[in-house]
Amino acid sequence: MIGFLHPWVLAGLAAAGVPVLLHLLARREPPTVVFPAVRYLVDTTREHQRRLKLQNLLLLLLRTGMVASLVLAAAGPTAPLRGVPGHAPSALVVVLDNSASSGAIVGGTPLLARLKSAARAALDRATPSDALWLVTADGVPRRGDGAELATLIGSLGVSPRRLDLGAALGAAVEVLSTDRRPGQVLLLSDLQASALSPASVPVPLVVARPDAPAVRNVGIASLDVGPQPWSTDGGRVNVVLAGDSGAAVPMTVTLGGRQRQALGATGAAVTVALPGVAAGWWQIDAAVEGDELRLDDRRTASVRVAPLARADCSAAGRFAAAACDVLRGNGRLASGSEITLGTLAPRGASIVLPPPDPAHVGALNRELARRGVGWSFGQPVEAAEQTDSGALVGRERVLRRYPLVSGGSGRTGVLATINGQPWLVRSGGVVLLGSRLEPEWTSLPLSARFMPFMDALLNRIARGDVALLSGAPGEPVLLPDLVTTVRAGDRSWQVEGGAAFRPAAVGTYYLTAAGDTVGALSVNVDPRESRLRRADDGTVRRLWRGARVVALDRGGDDAFASLARGDLRGALLLAALLLGLAEVVVASAWRRGGAAA
Amino acid sequence: MIRSESTAGRARLDLLDPLEVSRLGGLELVTQGVVEGFLAGLHRSPRRGFSVEFAEHRMYQPGDELRYVDWKILGRNDRLYVKQYEEETNLRAMVVCDASRSMAWTGNPDTTLPKLAYAQRLIAALSLVLLRQRDATGLIVFDDEVRSVTPPRSRPSHWPELLRTLGSMTPGQGTAAEPALRRVVSQLRRRGLVVFVSDLLLDRDLALTVLRFLRHRGHQVLVLHVMDPAEVTLHGPAEARFEDPETHASVMLRPRDWAGAYARTVEDAVAGWRLACRRNGIGYHRITTDTPYGHVLRAALAPPRRERVR
Repeated sequence: MIGFLHPWVLAGLAAAGVPVLLHLLARREPPTVVFPAVRYLVDTTREHQRRLKLQNLLLLLLRTGMVASLVLAAAGPTAPLRGVPGHAPSALVVVLDNSASSGAIVGGTPLLARLKSAARAALDRATPSDALWLVTADGVPRRGDGAELATLIGSLGVSPRRLDLGAALGAAVEVLSTDRRPGQVLLLSDLQASALSPASVPVPLVVARPDAPAVRNVGIASLDVGPQPWSTDGGRVNVVLAGDSGAAVPMTVTLGGRQRQALGATGAAVTVALPGVAAGWWQIDAAVEGDELRLDDRRTASVRVAPLARADCSAAGRFAAAACDVLRGNGRLASGSEITLGTLAPRGASIVLPPPDPAHVGALNRELARRGVGWSFGQPVEAAEQTDSGALVGRERVLRRYPLVSGGSGRTGVLATINGQPWLVRSGGVVLLGSRLEPEWTSLPLSARFMPFMDALLNRIARGDVALLSGAPGEPVLLPDLVTTVRAGDRSWQVEGGAAFRPAAVGTYYLTAAGDTVGALSVNVDPRESRLRRADDGTVRRLWRGARVVALDRGGDDAFASLARGDLRGALLLAALLLGLAEVVVASAWRRGGAAA
Repeated sequence: MIRSESTAGRARLDLLDPLEVSRLGGLELVTQGVVEGFLAGLHRSPRRGFSVEFAEHRMYQPGDELRYVDWKILGRNDRLYVKQYEEETNLRAMVVCDASRSMAWTGNPDTTLPKLAYAQRLIAALSLVLLRQRDATGLIVFDDEVRSVTPPRSRPSHWPELLRTLGSMTPGQGTAAEPALRRVVSQLRRRGLVVFVSDLLLDRDLALTVLRFLRHRGHQVLVLHVMDPAEVTLHGPAEARFEDPETHASVMLRPRDWAGAYARTVEDAVAGWRLACRRNGIGYHRITTDTPYGHVLRAALAPPRRERVR
């Protein structure tokens, strides 16, 4: 199908009617000349009438064709032509999948090197008239000329990120929609099956895939450190391997320089007991032996080691007291006055719940204010509501609550909310919960999440430790409200509590608030990157209709050939020239013929 | 020898441009001047003309025209003799003049006479020459019908009468030559000369039929085809509608594009007339209105050439 770079110019085709118009205008009545020998003129024209009509028609067609050719040439037509050298000005988006899986070594060569080579071959075919974009694992389309993008590709390394190919194609299509030139997308990828997602690609799509089969791989899919904090007696981690190796592989788990060996198989969880360490924040590393894909051979997690919390749960109601008993039975809690649950204790940390009698709320608020707590209980609300999903509390039903009112200048220390209003807050050593832990107030005591919540509330929140988060490079992680800084090694980022944070690399990020470490973020490669099995061509064509799958080595060559649109401007200009010459020849031949006759 | 002293040493009007000649005076004066000049040019062979027939040979004298040399005698006897002709008496000539509207046309009034004005002067001169040879000369004027008939007379006083008729000619509307030519039959009861002066923008087949009939009756027939130079070569504005003044038929075209084809058509038409006349023993001369009268008279009064016509 013929396309046009400047389709609005086609409006000029109306100019092709000019010769017809002139022909009609030229039919105006000419002056009359008295001439006795009209019979000779009649005889003359009668003999040449057919020739005259043919000549007029021919001239009309030639002139109309000439104007139409010029207008069409100005509109920049392109047509699908195979085998023509060069190509029409085009817009090309190269999606280069440098996600973690592209770091696999295939046939002794990093797969990414082959992908980059194909991308450079595609860019070599570009002309200054082309618009070029490059989309990599970060999903950001970058525009540049061939040389700029080639330089960018040269500096490209394996990204720890996961690339959703459907999303990347969507971004490419969106970019192309801003350009009038005929567009095309070239996807250079290992075509990991887990990376494919449906996408509508209304432009030509060439998918270049490696012809060699995917290598076998084993990686660590997860490293679960269990409930926090750990006691100084040590703890256990669950390690899950991912991949397609099938065979059992040895693994090493390291905590504080002490290693533990284990043998694991893909898909199965392996529990590894780790020795006790001193109180504090610790990083745990799990690793398997190196294989063709190294990026997923190691995984990290953070653990908080602290003595058991000593809590008094007697004033918190029977559900909370029962939960404390269970925690004590499991070695997650000890009896004592370090933490008082239910009321505001004169000293130590307190987890304050609303008093059963509303008449006592005023006195409680005054005591909170006297202790310098920046929060107080507001007017009671009785309505069926749900907590907002967050790092600490999932979505739980709440029937009664006291809105927590901030008395200070800022709204800090919010740990959980209901419809955006604070429900669980912390101020210094005091934690305020908007509802009592009873079924008449919230469904939380009856849910399976109650025990983990109580564990976290007593062992972490009351002690100032708020979060142990995990994420993948480039993926957003929602930070707790009180976090002000994220730190990783020597680098740190100022953040706003409650906002999303996108870690760039794998590793452990510590979350701090007012100089204290309040949590940790463990960033690891997305476990889906460990599954290197490739999607078959049928799946590709089903998910991306019209996609043409070619071998990776041909990807660069097919960058523009697949679009295969030849520039018709030259041909049309030549046609206009030939039509013009033909017009001159026909017109002069007629005059010559008339004169010669 | 017929030589007018009055023309000696002066320009011969028969060789001047007809338009200039017409500006010298009235029809009678100008015609006499033309005829005097014409006859002065014929002083060496005074008895030439249509009304003469071969009489005898005489020795060649310097000044004689070479075309009268008898080459057969030269070949046999190696002596130069010229043929001498003898006037035939009682020749009756009838001039038939086309006075239709097309004859009143001129392509450029500044350079050429209208065809009818040219024909007037030409006929006047021709009739004067004939009358001076004591040939009876008459005149028929026609357009779409016969307008006037002047019977042939040989007396010298007949010429003024012819002049009056010629002078009173006004262009009519259409052209119908056939009745006029048929009227000749009643005017020339013996063999005579018929001179048909017209632009020949008429029904060619019908005219030729009557001319053949006259020829069949033994008359000598001469057709003088009068054309304006602008009718020979097509000119005009870039594009124009050309309209026939008689039939009002019209054609719209660009003269520049059609000039060549038109010239060819005219030449074909003239060639057709010439061939048809020749096949029927009819004399034919195409003349344009810028041709000096003397040239036309010389051609018209030359003895008919006996050419083989296929």
